[in-house]
Amino acid sequence: MTTPLKTINMLVAALGGEGGGVLTNWLIEVAKRSGWRCQSTSLAGVAQRTGATIYYLEFIPRAVNQPEPVMSLFPAQGDIDIAVTSEIAEAGRMISRGFISPQRTTLISSNHRVYGITEKSDAADGTADTGFIIELSARYAARFVHFDLLELVQRHGTVISAGLLGAIAGAGVLPFQRDTFAEVLAEGKGAAANRAAFDESFDRAKLGGVAVHDPAPAATFCLPEATTPLGTRLLPVIAALPEDVHEVAYQAVLRLIDYQDEAYAAEFLQRVAKVAAMDSGHDGHGLTRETARWLALWMAFEDIPRVAQLKCRPAREAEIRAEVRAVPGQCIQVTEFFHPRVEEVAALLPKKWGQGLLNSNLCSKLLGSMLGARKLRTDKVLTQWTLRRLASLKGGRRKSLGYSQEWTMIERWFSAVLTAQSLDVARAIADCGGMIKGYGATRHRTTSRLMVILESVEVQEVVTADFIRLAQKAAMSGEDSAAFDDLIQSESALMEHTV
Amino acid sequence: MAERSFAEEVKKLRAGAGDIFEGEGILAITKALLQSGVSYVGGYQGSPISHLMDVLNDAQEILGELGVHFEANGSEATAAAMLSASINYPLRGAVTWKSTVGTNVASDALSNLASAGVTGGALVIVGEDYGEGSSIMQERSYAFAMKAQMWLMDPRPNLTSITEMVERGFELSEASNTPVFYMMRIRGCHVTGEFVAKDNVAPAFSHETPVTPRRQPEKIILPPFVYEQEREKISQRLPAAINFIREQGLNEHFPGRYESLGIITCGGSYNTVIRALQRQGLADVYGNADVPIYCMNVAYPLVPDELVEFCVGKEQVLVLEEGQPEYIEQGIQTILRRRDVQTRVFGKDIMPMAGEYTGQVMLEGVTRFLLAAKSEEIPLALNLDSVLALQTPVSDEDIAALMENLPPRPAGLCTGCPERPLFSAIKQLQEEMGPFHISSDIGCHSFATAAPFNLGNTIMGYGLSLASSSGMRHALPHKAISIMGDGGFWHNGLTSGVTSAVFNGHDGLLVIIDNGYSAATGGQDIPSLVEPNLIASTIDSPRPQREQWQSIEDACRGAGVEWLQTVSTYNIEAMKRTLREALTTNTPGLKVVIAEGECMLNRQRRVKPLLKQAIDTGQRIDKSRFYIDAETCTGDHGCIRLSGCPSLTIKDNPDPLRVDPVSYVDNSCVGCGVCGTNAHSAVLCPSFSQIDLVFNPSRLEQLTHRVRTGIRQWWRNRDLRSKALAQL
Repeated sequence: MTTPLKTINMLVAALGGEGGGVLTNWLIEVAKRSGWRCQSTSLAGVAQRTGATIYYLEFIPRAVNQPEPVMSLFPAQGDIDIAVTSEIAEAGRMISRGFISPQRTTLISSNHRVYGITEKSDAADGTADTGFIIELSARYAARFVHFDLLELVQRHGTVISAGLLGAIAGAGVLPFQRDTFAEVLAEGKGAAANRAAFDESFDRAKLGGVAVHDPAPAATFCLPEATTPLGTRLLPVIAALPEDVHEVAYQAVLRLIDYQDEAYAAEFLQRVAKVAAMDSGHDGHGLTRETARWLALWMAFEDIPRVAQLKCRPAREAEIRAEVRAVPGQCIQVTEFFHPRVEEVAALLPKKWGQGLLNSNLCSKLLGSMLGARKLRTDKVLTQWTLRRLASLKGGRRKSLGYSQEWTMIERWFSAVLTAQSLDVARAIADCGGMIKGYGATRHRTTSRLMVILESVEVQEVVTADFIRLAQKAAMSGEDSAAFDDLIQSESALMEHTV
Repeated sequence: MAERSFAEEVKKLRAGAGDIFEGEGILAITKALLQSGVSYVGGYQGSPISHLMDVLNDAQEILGELGVHFEANGSEATAAAMLSASINYPLRGAVTWKSTVGTNVASDALSNLASAGVTGGALVIVGEDYGEGSSIMQERSYAFAMKAQMWLMDPRPNLTSITEMVERGFELSEASNTPVFYMMRIRGCHVTGEFVAKDNVAPAFSHETPVTPRRQPEKIILPPFVYEQEREKISQRLPAAINFIREQGLNEHFPGRYESLGIITCGGSYNTVIRALQRQGLADVYGNADVPIYCMNVAYPLVPDELVEFCVGKEQVLVLEEGQPEYIEQGIQTILRRRDVQTRVFGKDIMPMAGEYTGQVMLEGVTRFLLAAKSEEIPLALNLDSVLALQTPVSDEDIAALMENLPPRPAGLCTGCPERPLFSAIKQLQEEMGPFHISSDIGCHSFATAAPFNLGNTIMGYGLSLASSSGMRHALPHKAISIMGDGGFWHNGLTSGVTSAVFNGHDGLLVIIDNGYSAATGGQDIPSLVEPNLIASTIDSPRPQREQWQSIEDACRGAGVEWLQTVSTYNIEAMKRTLREALTTNTPGLKVVIAEGECMLNRQRRVKPLLKQAIDTGQRIDKSRFYIDAETCTGDHGCIRLSGCPSLTIKDNPDPLRVDPVSYVDNSCVGCGVCGTNAHSAVLCPSFSQIDLVFNPSRLEQLTHRVRTGIRQWWRNRDLRSKALAQL
């Protein structure tokens, strides 16, 4: 055998607890059985606690009567043959660190995401652009083998490391036989599941995984034919709206019928028509579409009857059983964590009574002492019955205090959209409808911040869409209100200055 | 019960002469210790040498057979003091710790040991936690070796050299009556490879063959002896060491054909140098290089004659020494100037002063050095520009866009970690009482200083949080708050913290997190551990009944603490109440809250097999996990900002109208209950439910289940009929 001049260098980036160490040991064993040496080293540090872990391996054939080879312990830019990442953002990280060289490196990665804390804790959507990272990887790697390994291994009931081993073997980047990989895998725990995952992953990788990134084309929505009297009455009204808006309007109408009744849905459509009338059609009637979206969601605000309705909706039980992987027939117990407050109860009562309750300290205290943190077993018949009774209270919703409170705000926001100085501003205000989120204190924070924004829109002669977007971003930056308050104050200060 | 069990690996420690030993650096060192006839070993865990302690722990049986004494010391100072056994008697001893933090803790005992000098070989195996993957401030152990006159070995990072040098280290120590640092870098500790084993050697002295007690007053570190000891360090021990290193050839000289040049490197960087030369076409993979290399497996002391011999006749040499200041380079300059050797010495003038010599750094440095060669034209595979270009092939605009899309991954608390609810409670309390200044400590709880909790202002060292708040407490708007782990408490916190605070009438709050283990370093046992561990471990577990363990509570009371309460961390309401009281009470003196909850990593390792067994043997078992109702979740992620649990994540919103992702509990959830408790105590939302999978339910239970399912089914069908009418 002719000794190669170089080692084969491999970098493995995994997340803590993903079995990168197990994978490394498998590779060492495979190399050994194939008559090769493998030197590995790792940087665990504190990474076993959710951080990223890096393993570095070098492979070289065993040569008779040769001294021990001198192998490096450092992965070096421009010196990596194979880079393996268990998650696609980590592939991006390897690129950013210069470990992926276009002339040399085969990059093997799973397409799935494991979100970082900054992505998760964003009050709106702070997730990274996976499509971009995949596109970049395809551009910078000499060869890019990638597919959703998580989905694959979960189907086989095993862990990512087994899938990665299959991908490495299948990509043919190491000069070892498929059987050798398989043998090594056959010895560990859960051998059968590992083997199955290995095989499928091997074949996927052999075919090169996904050669290039091709995002699934968005299915175009077309309004269905009416199947019920209700449909024959409402669908034409939706059809009269711009086509771009049909999907949102359709979904909204379904929701609002489920939430209240046909009349409520009709009210919604009338309002949307008003916006459509002023829309220039820019951005696929973005103004109408987004106003419709947020209007519908706000109109279906989560009061006690709504939450109760959702908690005993038909599909829920099946969803839960599937999610927790309950075997058919297995008993499961469902314990809800509710925390009703006096405010929610008052919102449920007719306007006058509700006000009265809130105004009377005594009643509030009395009621408050009866409410508070509750754990309810919704799989129990009595609880189900109670929830259904609460859900049925939606009949009196239109007269309730909560309804009038919500609608005062809805109208304020909606008219701000209609009377905006420009369509651009109107769109910005419409998008602010997305701020309406959460329950209790969170909900109060989001709505009151929206009202503050509307306030400044109403008092200012000139208001820019950029300012509104800025304010929305600041408002959504979480519990701490400093950023938002500063922005608003500086703006009003500016106003007084100009006036 | 450490995080990683070496029960299997330690069998390799029985390997005999001629056997091929395969494994990790740490394991190889342990084997080398046994081959060296070591009589006692000890240390304190901490990356990168945590596993060395774990291996020794799991190797007790083998150690016992040989008569080797092992102690899991209370701190690095304890470990260093252990080495005094080698002062009067020819006992070989080795201790290990994370450096430089551990060296700092041990420094008093080490200095005294170094002054007294040793008879038996004394080895301090330091895990040099410097560079990528480090978890501490960046300093080197080298300075300590110089000022205390201890020798420092830095062997080539291959198992043969590593094990060989352990044995040589003992010999060097004995030949020069000086304790020796044996330095392992992070990657070296975890490197895998192989070496030819020797037989283990039983120590000359042990419980079977005790020493005869004898006194050597001149080895006591009191005047007048200390003056003589200082003189002896220079007049006898140093020369003895230098002679031994030279005679035994501990440092290696690798010839090369470009004799006007030379590279002087520490053993630890040797492989990286070879790789750099190899990539420049000046070395092969077996280490045969065209440039002569002087490799110092002993980094301190320097051996003047060897350095002069290497440099004489060379136009230029490159000194490779990680970190700052450039002690070795200065030493070499001095030696060469004194002998009037005019070789040009390159060092920190072309190499970075701070940080690791990684592959890229080394390649750049070596390239600059070779390009500076005067008389010889050296053909390079890569010119400087292409070397620099290797740093990143990515265009600036792509990098910029990429950085926008790379989520940072700070180390955080594990799924179900008992410390999470504690910090949720503190965060909620902060909302209510205004911003806190918190003195943090070393341990998993250090991660609370990062997102999403962002709690904690300073970290002064292991067990030093309470001590570090004492200068701040008079100038804070609230009572001083210090957070300490149980590991830190036993290591140092009881004496430096609690005792001193009580003595000084410290009025603040100390939260001691009792999770039953030294968790951050890999779940090693600590004094306050009981087996089986019975401390609060989930939201529902009863108040523990414990016996036969060293109680943190008693220790505090013994030190004079009067206001002390123990609360399960999983009970967020009780925790908030207790902390609020501690921060507002008028009772003078230190308030101690022991926040109790078993490390979830260890708990899972402990209960999983038990649970499986119980289910298999037909016992009725509830298996809990949490679930978020995507229909009621509005996607504001307030729950995540209060928790940051890895299993509490997000997924695409199934709702056709909503756009932001919804919160989602994945199947790694261990059902600790914090999500629900947070939902309650912070009045979050009605989206959280606890799902209990029931295994082996009773007949009656199955019946009620069937009845309930039936009734719910009937309701569902009715709903579906009416829903059908509500379609369009």
